[in-house]
Amino acid sequence: MSIHPPQGRRLLAVMRQEVRLMLTERGLWVVGALFLLLVAYALGNGLLQTAKRDRAQAAVAQADRDTRTAQRTLLEAIFAGTAQPTPFENPADPSRMASGYGGQHVLLPTAPLGPVALGQSDLFPSQYKVTNQSRVVFMNPSDIENPWHLLSGHFDLAFVIVYLLPLLIFALSYNLLSAERENGTLRLLLSQPLRLRTLLAGKLTVRAAVLLGPAVLLPVAVLWIARYAGLTAGDAGSTTLWWALLVGAYALFWFALVVAVNAFGASSATNAMVLVIAWVLLVLVAPVLLNLAVTQASPAPSRTELATRQRVVTAEAMKRYQDLLGTEYQHVGQGAILVPRDGKIEIAGRSLANYRIQREVDEAIRPALARFDAQQAQQQALLGRFGAVSPAAVAYEGMTALAGNGARRHARFDAQTVAHHDAWKGFFFPRIDARDALVPADFDRMPTFAWHEEPADLVRGQAALAVLQLLVPSLLLFGLAAWRLRRFSVA
Amino acid sequence: MLMHWIARREFTERLRDGRLYWAGGLVAVLLFTALAVGWAHQRGAHAEQVAAQAMDYRDWLHQDKRHPHDAAHQGMHAFKPEPPLSMVDAGINPYIGSTVWLQAHRQSEVKFNAAQDATGLQRFGNLSVGWILQVLGPLLVIVLGFNAFAGEREQGILRQTLSLGVAPLRLLAGKALALSALLAVLLVPAALVAAVAVAVGAEPGGRIDALLRLGAWSLGYAVYLGIFVFLVLGVSALSATSRMAITVLLALWIGQAVMAPRVLSELSRTWFPSPTRLEFNKALGAELKAVSNQVWQQNFGTTERWGRDVPLSKWGIALRLDDQASYPVYDRHYGRLWDTWEQQQKVQEWSGLLLPLLAVRSFSMGMAGTDFSHHRRFTTAAELHRRNIQDLMSKDLVAHADPLGDRHFSYQATADLWATVPPFDYHPPGAGWALRHQARSFLVLCVGLLLAAAFAAFATLRQRAL
Repeated sequence: MSIHPPQGRRLLAVMRQEVRLMLTERGLWVVGALFLLLVAYALGNGLLQTAKRDRAQAAVAQADRDTRTAQRTLLEAIFAGTAQPTPFENPADPSRMASGYGGQHVLLPTAPLGPVALGQSDLFPSQYKVTNQSRVVFMNPSDIENPWHLLSGHFDLAFVIVYLLPLLIFALSYNLLSAERENGTLRLLLSQPLRLRTLLAGKLTVRAAVLLGPAVLLPVAVLWIARYAGLTAGDAGSTTLWWALLVGAYALFWFALVVAVNAFGASSATNAMVLVIAWVLLVLVAPVLLNLAVTQASPAPSRTELATRQRVVTAEAMKRYQDLLGTEYQHVGQGAILVPRDGKIEIAGRSLANYRIQREVDEAIRPALARFDAQQAQQQALLGRFGAVSPAAVAYEGMTALAGNGARRHARFDAQTVAHHDAWKGFFFPRIDARDALVPADFDRMPTFAWHEEPADLVRGQAALAVLQLLVPSLLLFGLAAWRLRRFSVA
Repeated sequence: MLMHWIARREFTERLRDGRLYWAGGLVAVLLFTALAVGWAHQRGAHAEQVAAQAMDYRDWLHQDKRHPHDAAHQGMHAFKPEPPLSMVDAGINPYIGSTVWLQAHRQSEVKFNAAQDATGLQRFGNLSVGWILQVLGPLLVIVLGFNAFAGEREQGILRQTLSLGVAPLRLLAGKALALSALLAVLLVPAALVAAVAVAVGAEPGGRIDALLRLGAWSLGYAVYLGIFVFLVLGVSALSATSRMAITVLLALWIGQAVMAPRVLSELSRTWFPSPTRLEFNKALGAELKAVSNQVWQQNFGTTERWGRDVPLSKWGIALRLDDQASYPVYDRHYGRLWDTWEQQQKVQEWSGLLLPLLAVRSFSMGMAGTDFSHHRRFTTAAELHRRNIQDLMSKDLVAHADPLGDRHFSYQATADLWATVPPFDYHPPGAGWALRHQARSFLVLCVGLLLAAAFAAFATLRQRAL
C-alpha cells in the first residue's frame, strides 16, 4: 500500500489526461458525432412513429364517438317519431348495437417511454373493434403494414443501443491497455504511483461518459420536452430511471468485456477481432438461436387447425339456426316492425341467428384460444429464464417492456380486451334474449373500455431483474479481468 | 497458370491459419441447423395446409340442403401452400399469414400470421439459410479476405511479388479465385444438402420447378457473395494496414447488414406512405356505398336497402348486382395499397446498388416463393375463387329462389349446387415467373458485381512494385 498513495486524485488526473488525449484524437469526434447522429435519428423516428400511432388512435376514438353520438341522435329521433330505423341501422335493436354497427374500439395507449423502443408495436395490434362476434374474429392484427417492413423492424433507440452502442464502445476502447503497451507508455505510466486499476477506471469513466451522455441524457431531455405531460405523470419518472439504469448496465457489460479482453494482454488487432466475434455471437446469433429454441421448446398451436376448427364450429352453429336465418326480411314492406313498442323490439330472425351463432362459436373456440395464450405465456417465461445467455436479448426485452411495447403489456391489453368483450356480451346478451329495446339512457350504461396500466411494481421488478441479469455477467467479467490483471505484464 | 498458382497458395494459407475452420465452421453449423429447422417447418406446414384445404372442400360438398346465401356466408378457407423453398428462406410468410376466409360480401385479408404467436426476440431475425447467407456471409468473406493485400503489404511480400512482374490484375484474379473456392468449400455441400431436401420436400410435379428455383436462388447468392469478394479485395488493396482494412470493411458490413434494412424501410415508408386502417376502411367503405347506391338507383329506383321497392323476389338479383359492383371497388383499393407496398419495396431494391443485402433479400424470397408478389398472386387467386362462389350462389338464387316470391328464404339448394363450385386448387407460379418478377433485383446484383469488380481492379492497379 505504501507505494500506492490514495488513488482518488490520481483517478481525476487520469481522467483529465484521457479527456485531453481523446479530444486531440480524431476517433472520438468521429465516433461521438456518429453516435449522436444515430441517436438523434432513432429518437426522431421513434417520436414520429409514436405520434403517427397516437394520431391514428385519436382518429379511431373520434370516429367511435361520432358514431355513438349519431346513433343516439337517431334513437332519440325514433322515439320522438321523427325518424324511421332501417333494418341494418337500428340503434334500438340490441342485436344490431352489439354487432359491428354498434361495436367500438379498444385502444392500447402509448406509454410515456413509447418512442425509445417501438418493439412489437407494429406487429401486435394496439386496437381491436369489440363486437358480439367471437374474439377469434376480431382479435387479429388490424393495422395495415407492409410485411417487408414488419420483417425489417424499426430503427429506434433500442436498436441503436442494443446493436450499435457495443460497437462504438469497441471503437473507443478495444485497445484500452494494448495500445499503451504497444506504444511503450504503459510501463512509463505504471512507474508512477498509479495503480493499473485506477488507470483503467479513469479511462473507462471518460469513455462511458462520452457514450452514455448521448445514449441516456439526450433521449431523456428530448422526451422531457416532447412528452412533458406523460413523463411527469404517475410512475413515468421511475420508469425513465430504470430505463437509464438498464442502458447503463448494458453498456457496463460491454465495457467489462473490453476490459476482460484487454486483460489477456493480446495485441490490439486480436482484441478487436475477439470483440467483434463476441458481438456477432451475442447480439446477432444468440438471440436468433434463443428465439428458435424457445419456439421449438414451446411451439405455438397450429393456426391452420384453429381456422379449420372455427369453420367447423361456425358451420355447425349455422346449421342449428338455419330456420332462423331463413326468416329474414319479414320487415320488408312493414317498417313499423323495426320501431320499439312498450320497451320491447322485434329482432329479425337473421340478426338473432347471427347473435346465437357467434355466441356458440365464441364459447366453442375459447379453449383453443386459451391454448394460444398459455403457449405465449410459456414462451415468455422461458425467455425470462434463459434470456440471460444474450445480454442483447435481455436489454432489448427490458427496454421494450419499459417503453410499453413489449409482449407482457400486449398480453395485458389482450386480457383486458377479453374482459371488456365479456362485459360487452354481459350487457347486450340479456337484452337480446329478452328483446328489450335500447333507450337513449342505455347509451350511458354501455360498457366502455378503460385501459388499466401495468402495476408500477411489476414494471420495476422486471426491469430490476433485467438489470441484474446484465450486472452479474459484467461483474464476472470484471472479476476475470482483475484475476488476469494481477499477472498482467506491462512489457 | 500463374493465376491458379496464386489461388492455390492463398487457399492453402487460409487453411493453415485456421480462420476457415473457426469462422467457416460456425457458419456451417448454423447453416445446417437452419436447414433442419426449415425442413421440419416446411414439411409440417405443407402437410397441414394440404389436409386442411382438402377437408374444407369436403365439408363444403357435404353441406346439407340450405339457402345458398347461407352457404356463401359460411364460405370456405383458402390456405396458402407452403412453397418447398420456404425451408431456405421464409421471407415475409411469418408476417403475413396463410389463411383467407372466402365469405360473402367482402374481400377478406389473409389472417393468422406466425409472428403473432412468436416472442419479442423475433425482431432479431428468424434463423434461416437466407438470413445466414445475407448477414453472416459477407462477414465470412471479410474474415477470410481482409488481409489478402494489406497483410502482404505489411510483410513486404506484395512489393516482392509485383517486382517479379506479376500483373496486378492477375494477382487480383488469383486471390478472388481463392476466396471463392474457400466459400465454395463451405457452401457447396450445404447447397447440395439443400437441393436434396428441396427435391424431397416438393410435390412430384413441382420438383423440377423447385430445383430450378433453387438453382437461380443459389446463383443470386453467388453474385451477392461475389460482390463482397471484390469489395473485400479492393478495400484490402487500398488500405495501408490490415487493421485499417478490417475496420473499414466491418464498418461497411454493419452499415449494410445491420443498419440498412431498417433505415431504408423507414425511408421508403416516408416516401410512399401506407394508409392507416381507419383511412383505408373509410375510403373503401365510402366508395362501396356510393357504387352500390348507384347500382340500386339504376335498377330499383331507390337506394333504400331491402325496403318496399325491392321485394324478396328480387333479392337474388340485388345481391348479385351488389356483389358485382363491389368487385372493381375492391380491386381499386387493394390494388392501390399493394402498389404502394411494391413501390416501397422497389425503393429498397434499387438501393441494393449500394447496399447489396437489400437486393439479395428481395431476390432470395422471390425465388423461394415467399415474397410479396407471390403473396399477391395467391391473394388475387383466392379472391377470384370467392367471387366465383358468390356468383354461382347468386345465380342459383336468381334462378330458383327469386321465382318463389315471398318465400325466397324457404328455398334450399342441394348438394348439386355445392358441387358446381370447384375446389380451390392454387398452383404457385413457376420459376420463370418468379425470375421475371425479380429481374430488377437480379439486375441490381449483377451491376453491383460489375461495380465491385471494377473497384477491385482499380484498387489493385494502383499497387506499385516500388
